[in-house]
Amino acid sequence: MSVFTDKFSATLPPPTRKSERWKYSPIAKLLNHEIEISKASAQGLNGWPESLMPNPVLNLDAYLVVFKNGVFEPTLSDLPVSDGVDCIPFSKMDQSGPLEFSNVYHQKEWIGELNDTYRQDGLSLHVHRNVKVDRPIVIHHLTDGINVASFPKHLIKVEEGGELNVVIWSSATDRSSGMYNGLLEASIGPNAILSLEKVCNEGGKVFHFSHEHIVQERDSKLKMHTFTIKGDWVRNELEIISRGKGTDSVFNGAYLPLGTEHIDNHTTMDHTSSDCTSSELYRGIMYGHSTGVFNGKVFVRPDAQKTNAFQQNTNIVADRGAAINTKPELEIYADDVKCAHGCTVGQFDLDALFYLKSRGIDEKAAKALLVEAFLADVLSSVSSTELSAEIMSLYTERHGW
Amino acid sequence: MLKINNLCAKVGDKDILKGLNLEVKPGELHAIMGPNGSGKSTLAAVLAGRDSFEVTDGSVDLDGIDLLDLEASDRAREGVFLAFQYPIEIPGVSNLNFMKAALNGKRSHQGLEPIKAKDFLAKVKECSSLVELDGQLRDRSVNEGFSGGEKKRNEIFQMAMLEPKLAILDETDSGLDIDALRVVSKGVNAMRSSERSFIVITHYQRLLEHIVPDFVHVLSNGKIVKSGGKELALELEEKGYDWLKEPSHDTSNA
Ligand SMILES: Nc1ncnc2c1ncn2[C@@H]1O[C@H](COP(=O)(O)OP(=O)(O)O)[C@@H](O)[C@H]1O
Ligand SMILES: [Mg+2]
Repeated sequence: MSVFTDKFSATLPPPTRKSERWKYSPIAKLLNHEIEISKASAQGLNGWPESLMPNPVLNLDAYLVVFKNGVFEPTLSDLPVSDGVDCIPFSKMDQSGPLEFSNVYHQKEWIGELNDTYRQDGLSLHVHRNVKVDRPIVIHHLTDGINVASFPKHLIKVEEGGELNVVIWSSATDRSSGMYNGLLEASIGPNAILSLEKVCNEGGKVFHFSHEHIVQERDSKLKMHTFTIKGDWVRNELEIISRGKGTDSVFNGAYLPLGTEHIDNHTTMDHTSSDCTSSELYRGIMYGHSTGVFNGKVFVRPDAQKTNAFQQNTNIVADRGAAINTKPELEIYADDVKCAHGCTVGQFDLDALFYLKSRGIDEKAAKALLVEAFLADVLSSVSSTELSAEIMSLYTERHGW
Repeated sequence: MLKINNLCAKVGDKDILKGLNLEVKPGELHAIMGPNGSGKSTLAAVLAGRDSFEVTDGSVDLDGIDLLDLEASDRAREGVFLAFQYPIEIPGVSNLNFMKAALNGKRSHQGLEPIKAKDFLAKVKECSSLVELDGQLRDRSVNEGFSGGEKKRNEIFQMAMLEPKLAILDETDSGLDIDALRVVSKGVNAMRSSERSFIVITHYQRLLEHIVPDFVHVLSNGKIVKSGGKELALELEEKGYDWLKEPSHDTSNA
């Protein structure tokens, strides 16, 4: 028993270091935390901190849906969105109830059970057949307070031929502490397209867990990006299941932790059907005494012939005190497939750095140029230039380039 | 302009430069020749500020500034330019952004405003046409996918952009066919002026037919072992280097 489990009970036990999946991201510190279940109600702008805007990407013309400490903020949100899309918080639903989902997790875990038990709210987002949503939907989660916990879960269903771009942005004020435990389940129908950007820009000391579980039907496309700009302790988990022919899954990510931050990206790409492609690119630069984990699983099941799967995780350890543990895990049960993968950990290219400096570019600016080049392949596939520019400028501002 | 006095440098435990002296006056062009492994690139890198080499003794003075005390970027801002023997490819960094950052670094050092976009592009056009690279730099990353000749021409383009006080060219002729050699030499000659000095490192005499030196020095085993006028290059071409080579082991305490 712990301070945490006394308050938040579950049938499944919390993971320990004995579990391979949690070995490098122990949660002992979380278990000693006095976190409260947030029962606050919506406060609108009155309860909103001055240091942040409700809309995290001001230049992006989007529908905004705001949650604070897990609670939906109707006055800060732009609902309803356009015709052909049902975008409704669970708390505002009539008897029709949230979307039915048949997603099957690879593993039921304590962290997911907590979300199921203590969920405050979430969004049910249903894009009807052949509807191409005119603007991105930005879901902004703010954590503000001491020892607060939010447990959102969002359900996204894009029907056949539909198109949707969602940005899930989480922020936290510098005084904040506690836990963010966010789930997302998505189903992408035949020929449908879902672009999803997940950005974590949390100040304070928040344990951030997020888990996206995405099922793709025939000829659907997923484009997913996971950016960690700032976060004391972050675990991003992404599971993609391709269960129709001809799907395409692109999922990229970047992280540049500072100080003693911890960043963990676990991804699973499960190919169960033939003629599919997946491409995964995660890039990280570890500064200070930060620690990191990358674990990328790719399954190619016996029926998934003609799969083309690419995975790459490239890391730069910028300072001596920083470390990252990276591990690809490929399990291939089909014979006619193309799979390429590479995980590397290295330093800044000293030859390139000297070359830049020898032209009069100072060390800081030279490194900024190299970082920008390093991140370019991840940023260039983001759905909108407004969003990628905002992300790059937040990195720039944070690192003082 | 440049005074190198008793310069000694090593990498790891290996002494490479062993008491090198050289003086270069404004407007002069000095050629440094010598066998492979004699320390020519090391000299160039030490002057440009590569910190993987440790300077163990000696001094380098550029117009009253102690060069060895400066970071590589500050040396460049003071007017030192090194054309690399092996230019580095930097994927993802565009040639033009690179040059803009370099130029503005120098300008901020001189207390000048960043260059205007229009002026910058005009300068790029002028300098790239000098080495017949016009239109070939835009939208490409620094040296990425460049042929050997293009890389060397890009070095001279950068030199023309940055207008250094002291340009050090490290085997800019190696790997060039005769046409590219002509282009590169034309670029260098166009840059010669009474205020700009050159150190031209080369293994072969043929470059010096195009870029005529005021002085020729032979570097062997970390020291300058012979100096002369441009006719020395011809003599070296004929006789090779063996007659000048110092024994490679240290005989001073024998
Ligand atoms: N980074 C290094 N580590 C070890 N030895 C080096 C390094 N750089 C140069 N050297 C050695 O120093 C000597 C001089 O090299 P260099 O200056 O490149 O000669 P050159 O340009 O005249 O051919 C050679 O013996 C070379 O092997
Ligand atoms: Mg050399």
